[in-house]
Amino acid sequence: MINFGYTASESRHIDMDERLHPAIEKMLHREPSLKECIACGRCAAVCTAGYFTGMQFYRLNLMAHRGLINEMKQAARACMLCGKCQMTCPKGVNIRHGVLLMSQITDVLDV
Amino acid sequence: MSQQKVAIVGAGPAGLQAAATLVSLGVSVEIFERNGSPGGHLKQWHALFPHFQNATHALNPLLNGVKGITMHLGSKVSEISHNGNTWRLLSDDGLKYESDAVLLTTGFNLFDASRKEEYGYGVYPGVVTSAQLEEMFNGQRPWPFDKSLAAPKIGFVHCVGSRDVKCGNRFCSKVCCVTAVKQAIEIRKRFSDSAVTCFYMDLRMYGLGFEELYHEAQVNHQVQFIRGRLSEASPAVSGKIQVKAEDTLMGRPLKLTLDMLVLMVGMEPAVKLTAQNNHLALGKPGFGDGFMADRELNTPEYLQVTPGLFVAGACKGPASLPDTIQDAKAVSVDVYNFLKTKS
Repeated sequence: MINFGYTASESRHIDMDERLHPAIEKMLHREPSLKECIACGRCAAVCTAGYFTGMQFYRLNLMAHRGLINEMKQAARACMLCGKCQMTCPKGVNIRHGVLLMSQITDVLDV
Repeated sequence: MSQQKVAIVGAGPAGLQAAATLVSLGVSVEIFERNGSPGGHLKQWHALFPHFQNATHALNPLLNGVKGITMHLGSKVSEISHNGNTWRLLSDDGLKYESDAVLLTTGFNLFDASRKEEYGYGVYPGVVTSAQLEEMFNGQRPWPFDKSLAAPKIGFVHCVGSRDVKCGNRFCSKVCCVTAVKQAIEIRKRFSDSAVTCFYMDLRMYGLGFEELYHEAQVNHQVQFIRGRLSEASPAVSGKIQVKAEDTLMGRPLKLTLDMLVLMVGMEPAVKLTAQNNHLALGKPGFGDGFMADRELNTPEYLQVTPGLFVAGACKGPASLPDTIQDAKAVSVDVYNFLKTKS
């Protein structure tokens, strides 16, 4: 292909018309407490990794529910699994298990 | 001494409850209702939050409570005046009635969704209001999509005509949040493969059992809640509707194609009360006109110069059915105490 030196930006739109990725369905089945999240942000405010990286658990969970599987998997790798977020979560989400599943999503939850 | 009389304007839940309470206290009551039948908005509702109680089970005791009470249906009260201790009601159909006190229970109107032009209500058949959805649940209105559709996609927009300065309504209509959650669950139960998305600003689950219902919708019924007010709805192929919103938690724009879009229409006052000397006119509210509690009636001087005028229910501001019924009972006792001081 001839390179004319132009690039096209990808749409930033979240396309909700896609059915939820089967791996995400599986993940929510394995860790149902992920559905409890209300995006209050307590997890992100205490996150040790979040001081240095963009780690925000509630956003990972939103990515999961919006079908942004690759972004989610990538971002989940910043977690150090310290578990402070889990102590502060008002909804009792099993965050460490959730993040672990997210970071390995297409490997462990192979579909 | 002859039996004291009270005129009640409006035969919705507040008017019906107040009539029954006043009659039980030995007061003579007549009800004036502009519509052809009593029951207000409740009569076209299907189920009530938060326990999915059948709306007719709530309406029937109210209707039974006013058996034997004179009710003037199709009689729109246009003017009220008072002379000394006597109140006079005048209706559009020429009816005149004299009483010792007047109780206004004129309730609310639903926001006219076509005023939010960006949502295309009245233009796209798939865009409906929350009240119309209740009629679909009741079987009184056809669904705007093919019911055999394997997996219908349905969206709810919160705060349509509420908390919206450009619509003249700064207030929160209070009951739409939980109504949307209730209706979302009902859709999920009726169409098992459906996907339901709610677009909200914030969820105001103020009552007992409301937050629990929201939790149930999120966890057990997989209703998606997206924080962001819908910016526009546009037509897509084969009668579908494409909606655009900012997912403000993700900080990214979002688009979604739906089979039906439900607008959670807010409450507006049904009547504007204007006072001049001894006359009160019941007119049509204009842009930005608030509920009665916001206006002249909260002025103590006004109430002092017009003893015997009372208001109850949703004409004072957005209220749920239990709120309205409790308020009607409480105000009825005020009316009763007022009559006692006069006799």
